[in-house]
Amino acid sequence: MLESILEFLILGIVLGGIYAMFSTGLTLIFGVLDVINVAHGEFFAIGGYIVFVAVVLLHLSPVLGILAATSGSFLLGLAIYPLLIKPMKRRLGRRPQGPLFLVLTLGLSTFLQSSMLAIGGGDYLRVPPFVRGMLDLTFTAVSYQRLLILSVAAVSLAALFLFLHFHRQGMAIRAVALNPDAAQAVGINLGMIFTLALALGVGLAGMAGALIAPLFNVYPAVGFAFTIKAFAITILGGLGNLAGALLASFVIAIVETLSVLVIPSQWQNVIAFAIMILVLLIRPQGLLGRADQK
Amino acid sequence: MLQVDDIRAGYDRLEILQGVSLSVAPRQIVGVIGPNGAGKSTLLKTIFGYIRPFSGRIALRGEILNGYRPDKVMRQRVGFVAQANGLFAEMTIQENLLLGGYSIGNTSAVRHAMEEVYERFPLFRERRRQLAGSLSGGEQRLLAIARSLIIKPELLLLDEPSAALAPRFIDDVYATLRKLNAQGIAMLVVEQNTGVILDVADRVFVLEMGTNAFDGTPAELLADDRIRRLYLGSEAA
Repeated sequence: MLESILEFLILGIVLGGIYAMFSTGLTLIFGVLDVINVAHGEFFAIGGYIVFVAVVLLHLSPVLGILAATSGSFLLGLAIYPLLIKPMKRRLGRRPQGPLFLVLTLGLSTFLQSSMLAIGGGDYLRVPPFVRGMLDLTFTAVSYQRLLILSVAAVSLAALFLFLHFHRQGMAIRAVALNPDAAQAVGINLGMIFTLALALGVGLAGMAGALIAPLFNVYPAVGFAFTIKAFAITILGGLGNLAGALLASFVIAIVETLSVLVIPSQWQNVIAFAIMILVLLIRPQGLLGRADQK
Repeated sequence: MLQVDDIRAGYDRLEILQGVSLSVAPRQIVGVIGPNGAGKSTLLKTIFGYIRPFSGRIALRGEILNGYRPDKVMRQRVGFVAQANGLFAEMTIQENLLLGGYSIGNTSAVRHAMEEVYERFPLFRERRRQLAGSLSGGEQRLLAIARSLIIKPELLLLDEPSAALAPRFIDDVYATLRKLNAQGIAMLVVEQNTGVILDVADRVFVLEMGTNAFDGTPAELLADDRIRRLYLGSEAA
């Protein structure tokens, strides 16, 4: 039994790394722009498609494939604020914007998904593992592919943390998330920070999509389940709270994988949302959110 | 130094400033008083670029600022100190000061300016790793002023620096502002606390329903029966 628990714990930690990359981006975007990006999963899928094209069609190395997926989705992300959100903000003026942005990103999600379907077809595309072999832990074996996912997730999230705390633009992102008016008073250009935060968020999604492409097939709606799960994680961690999203990613992933030991696996997905509903009822601000936070 | 001519501005289609004019000379402290809703804060926000004016002209040392964003106005060495809640409460004092130099870009210049600020406010050096939100109201206001000094401003725009402060903190804040002014920083100060601003200002403007109602020295204001009765009540009568 202990061996099974350890085995599923390791799987949970790997899954937590993927959830963390995905939901940290979603949380970053919400924290800075107050926009729930329903199209986040589509950037995850775009990351998968880019790595497929790079590794399978162009025979480039997986490292180049992951870099291309990350930078490709980052560059696409750079266009979202100036092309979609800024013009809408300007038109809406001081009217409530939240629900309309939800519809806007839902529209973007459908647009991107339909575009991927039209360009790539609906086939499930296979990407070979970036690294082969297993690490033998005596009680279980973990594929190097999963360890690679966990390592890249850890490095990229640590880099994000360092960027947000020690780089001038990273500190500006935190400043805008905390107090946009005060951020303007110190000369921070809000439009530039909104653009950067969105690009970073979807860049992380693209990287996550590329990393796990060998484990899942690549298809237009591959990110949908992750988007829904990320909403649960974001709420559980506290809306807009990056540390909360990180913690909640591992909580949800580990509980999900360990639950297989005691309940049938078809109930696995129910767990995340049961936790989310429970937290909403008991602690609406989430695990690390404060009661007075948005 | 700062010249505002016939400025009209507001939110959406609502015109709050309906042709306001004022000027600030180098090294001057200029006060703006008036009832709630007169457009005092809107005036500061328009000068700083938060709000784009519908018409009129804002010029600093002859350069037209109309349409400039706050970051661009700041590069003209204009600092802004918000009324309250102007800090990043969940960031440390040091991070708040570092961000004060955001528009400078050059890290060593920012560090150098921070050293000068720490020399002026030793309390903030000792407590630099403390969260800004954990400071008292008066200390937070002083930190907001300290942060605005990182860019070495020639003009400071201050929105009600005495708001929600106990009297002894108001004295601290205004003593600091006096010292800064003595070192050459001009100030445009919006205030509800007329007593305190009349004490320090070289010139006072009264705004009424988005228009100029008075422009003169504090002594001239005190000599104007109508203005004194309307805005100072029995306090200075």
